[in-house]
Amino acid sequence: MRYIILLLLNVPIISIAILNIITKFKLRKITKRRFKIQMILWATALVLLILSFPVYNILNGGTPFDSAELSLFDIMQTTAIVFLIYTVNDLRQKNEQNEKRLRDLHQELSIILSDDNKK
Amino acid sequence: MSAVNSVCVVIPAYNEGSVIQDVVKDITKELKASSLSYEVLVVNDGSKDDTAAQAKLGGAKVINHILNSGAGSATATGLSYANQKGFDFAITMDADGQHLSKDVVVGIKKAQSTSVDLLIGSRLIDTTGMSRVKVLGNKGLSNITKLLFGVNVTDSQSGLRVFSHNALESLRWKTSGYEFCSEMLWRAKQLNLSISEYPIKAVYTEYSKTKGQNNWNAINIVKSLVKRRIVEIFE
Repeated sequence: MRYIILLLLNVPIISIAILNIITKFKLRKITKRRFKIQMILWATALVLLILSFPVYNILNGGTPFDSAELSLFDIMQTTAIVFLIYTVNDLRQKNEQNEKRLRDLHQELSIILSDDNKK
Repeated sequence: MSAVNSVCVVIPAYNEGSVIQDVVKDITKELKASSLSYEVLVVNDGSKDDTAAQAKLGGAKVINHILNSGAGSATATGLSYANQKGFDFAITMDADGQHLSKDVVVGIKKAQSTSVDLLIGSRLIDTTGMSRVKVLGNKGLSNITKLLFGVNVTDSQSGLRVFSHNALESLRWKTSGYEFCSEMLWRAKQLNLSISEYPIKAVYTEYSKTKGQNNWNAINIVKSLVKRRIVEIFE
């Protein structure tokens, strides 16, 4: 049951991340390369999340579905990690965009304001 | 400015007031003796001294950065100007006087005759006159550049570089400090631009020794390059 809660909490976050990437790509705000890598990143996270329960059991030498239930802390911690990755990745991209804008603005302003061009 | 074989000499400068006038006069004299149409541009990167005034006295056009942004940004501004004005070539050189003017002209002529996109003046093909520490530091950074980005050059940190019009139009980088030297080579490789080198002499005066990159700064450069390489995996 708790494994289901884990999925219910995390799958929407990953789905939103994937939807955001597809939207950005369709609006031509990101390159095809960035689109592919971001899709691989989140698809991997989704697959790992879905497979985490059986993989954990197999790694502990048991059959795929015989381990103890996840604790509520496990669920909250995993959800927080997934949410943080989503937020950090989004903020990093926005930060890079803003840095580029600032750099380009500074560059253009410096050229335009140079003495000879003012005359 | 659209004359055939016009060249823009870009000199990024920060607090170089004591030497910049001589550097500008020296390169102007050498260019006058050649058959090139040229403009000498000093990008004053928010200096606190009289770099801009001294550069103007030397006869250069000056672009003043409003904020101090680093060598990478100053170089980008200069090359952007060269691109906007339609120069056929641009060449960057250090403002501390470590590059010989004749090497600048040799570089331009070599770029013209070979039609290479990015020509680097390498101090490490002939290391005469360079201290062992400088040689070691620069070789180390060149090896790290090769390891991280797969670009094999002898002097990845050289400030003397010739850019074709094609490179001026397409080459961009993201870092703003000295690490831009390595990143630029990486971007050139990504764009399939041709890269080549030619030997130059570096003149290390007491002044240029104090102004040049400290070997400890290499650690910051490496950190920044590794970070950039990792971040770009997710882009």
